[in-house]
Amino acid sequence: MKKLSMVVLATSVLGAALAGCSSSGSGGSSTEPSVGVAIYKFDDTFMTGVRNSIEKNGKGIAKVEIVDSQNSQPTQNDKVDLFLTKNTKALVINPVDRTAAGVIIDKAKAKDTPVVFLNREPLPEDMKKWDKVYYVGAKAEESGTLEGGLVVDYWKAHPEADKNKDGVLQYVMLKGEQGHQDAELRTKYSIQAVEEAGIKVEKLAEDNANWDRVKGQEKMAAFLASHGDKIEAVFANNDDMALGAIEALKAGGYFTGGKYIPVVGVDATAPALQALSDGTMLGTVLNDANNQGKAAVTLASLLGQGKEITKESVGFDVTDKQYVWIPYKKITKDNMKDAQ
Amino acid sequence: MSTRRIQEMITHNAIYIVLVVLIIGIAIYDPSFIGINALRDVLNQSATRTIIALGVAFILITGGTDLSAGRMVGLTAVISASMLQIQDYPRRFFPGLADLPVIVPVLLAIAVGFLFGMINGLIVAKLRVPPFIATLGTMVIIYGVNSLYFDMDPNHSQPIGGLRPDFTKWWGSGSIGSGQYSIPYIVIIAIIVAIIVWVIFNKTRLGKNMYAIGGNEQAAKVSGINVSRNLIWIYSIAGALYGLAGVMEAARTGGATNNYGNMYELDAIAACVVGGVSTTGGIGTVPGVLTGVLIFTVINYGLTFIGVSPNWQLIIKGMIIIAAVAFDMRKYANKK
Repeated sequence: MKKLSMVVLATSVLGAALAGCSSSGSGGSSTEPSVGVAIYKFDDTFMTGVRNSIEKNGKGIAKVEIVDSQNSQPTQNDKVDLFLTKNTKALVINPVDRTAAGVIIDKAKAKDTPVVFLNREPLPEDMKKWDKVYYVGAKAEESGTLEGGLVVDYWKAHPEADKNKDGVLQYVMLKGEQGHQDAELRTKYSIQAVEEAGIKVEKLAEDNANWDRVKGQEKMAAFLASHGDKIEAVFANNDDMALGAIEALKAGGYFTGGKYIPVVGVDATAPALQALSDGTMLGTVLNDANNQGKAAVTLASLLGQGKEITKESVGFDVTDKQYVWIPYKKITKDNMKDAQ
Repeated sequence: MSTRRIQEMITHNAIYIVLVVLIIGIAIYDPSFIGINALRDVLNQSATRTIIALGVAFILITGGTDLSAGRMVGLTAVISASMLQIQDYPRRFFPGLADLPVIVPVLLAIAVGFLFGMINGLIVAKLRVPPFIATLGTMVIIYGVNSLYFDMDPNHSQPIGGLRPDFTKWWGSGSIGSGQYSIPYIVIIAIIVAIIVWVIFNKTRLGKNMYAIGGNEQAAKVSGINVSRNLIWIYSIAGALYGLAGVMEAARTGGATNNYGNMYELDAIAACVVGGVSTTGGIGTVPGVLTGVLIFTVINYGLTFIGVSPNWQLIIKGMIIIAAVAFDMRKYANKK
């Protein structure tokens, strides 16, 4: 009987789990279109902000269902198939891999289900495949330009920032995932902004820290070990890595007794704002999660109802009939409130 | 039938019962789950997983394990994708490469899988490194090799896209028939592979040796089986299967990056043990593995279908893995 009872136990636990934990849909009126949202991975701080915004701003205009693609494009394709089988009225897809958008567009087009891509921009030739495909995101190069601007402002206001007085800005760069479009563009444009402001730069080191705080800390510790006080600025492609770098710098004796180094990131996450107010982080660039989520879910809701897409109906500018660009913003200790 | 026989029947068919209960549970919650489209999705999503799990099953049955499976899938996905881009794609991996017959890169990817599988086999059989450690090492090495290849000029770690339609159709998203009553090609490929593996397991000397080695390696050696040669073959075949799965993942998604396949080995091992493959070796069947894979696909697909939070899905998956092995241990403990 023991074996039998084990089977019963196992199946009843399953049954209970099934019955007990299914998230109840928003349960709004039946006129709200169902919108399937696939996020590239749930444990990404920035995308979690976008996800929360989609949930918040989706209330009353769409029945939103959000799934985790677990940082795997095949998994995301599986989720798309599932949404299409369920006859979801519109999709919001935050691609794991931007080149895979083409296949997703083909699938969606076959079932006449409009798609809004979010945060990772599909290739232009894929966007051209169908007019019911939209993109909501920010121009990555803008985040880099603004990030570079933060360092330029600091450098010009603080002559002592040039520690070795050679007139050249020695910097280290913490990059996001290798091959990620944002990582490449932020790296390039942040430095370009510094150079365009008439400041000579010298790259001491650059490494991939995969957007990750722990990796940011490890890489920064290694940079400090090899370059020490020669480093005059730390650029990170995002806040998590910048915060990791700050931890490594703290361990290296920085941020106490007047020992300072400007560290800049991108995203303006809550921990980053805390670091701004602590005075450890110089500045960050707000990638506007709230408006990205709002624009994406509003677009999807309108598309799901077959309504016209205009600046008035969406509430955001629509460029080239397919693109909604959400601007970035420089954030320092002085204007922190804008990011909260 | 006596209660004892009913008990025995339940014991021996527990995984099939779990699968049926799962499906019924989901269908009660949302009857629209029962339908041709959902069935096709489940089979479609099981196809590559099945092939990887069958590869892992070979190794588990010998008493080994393979942590490098997922990274091999990633490597072979990148290799096949890199040679199968359309001519006018703006960022080609090999800018000057002519259109190859699709089968050439496909076979090359499978051969690369076979080769790395063989390396695993050699390390395990000749250097006597425990399989867990040997494949932990090759897992990291293969990811490094893949990342180097992926970072080559002019690609520089950009995701590989723009795959040829004749590739993505036949090895990925296409199907026989149309609309409701169509069967995806990758499901057919998976079925063919399952049949071949079944034949190897049950009808060949290699299969018999595999069970013997997993049951008791010393006894196998004493009875005249060339253990190392058999192990090398088994790891190589498993590698070839991962290679095929990598090709299919690239074709199915229309692209590839060096991150493809990450952690697939854990899903495959989980599917095998839930399907009754013993982690201590010597035991395992093809239908069991197929059921194990289906159970996980039904969980992934079905629970998302009815809107169960992904965090709860993880908890449920974990419980099923532990329950399955605990149950298995009791089954064999009782026999002894």
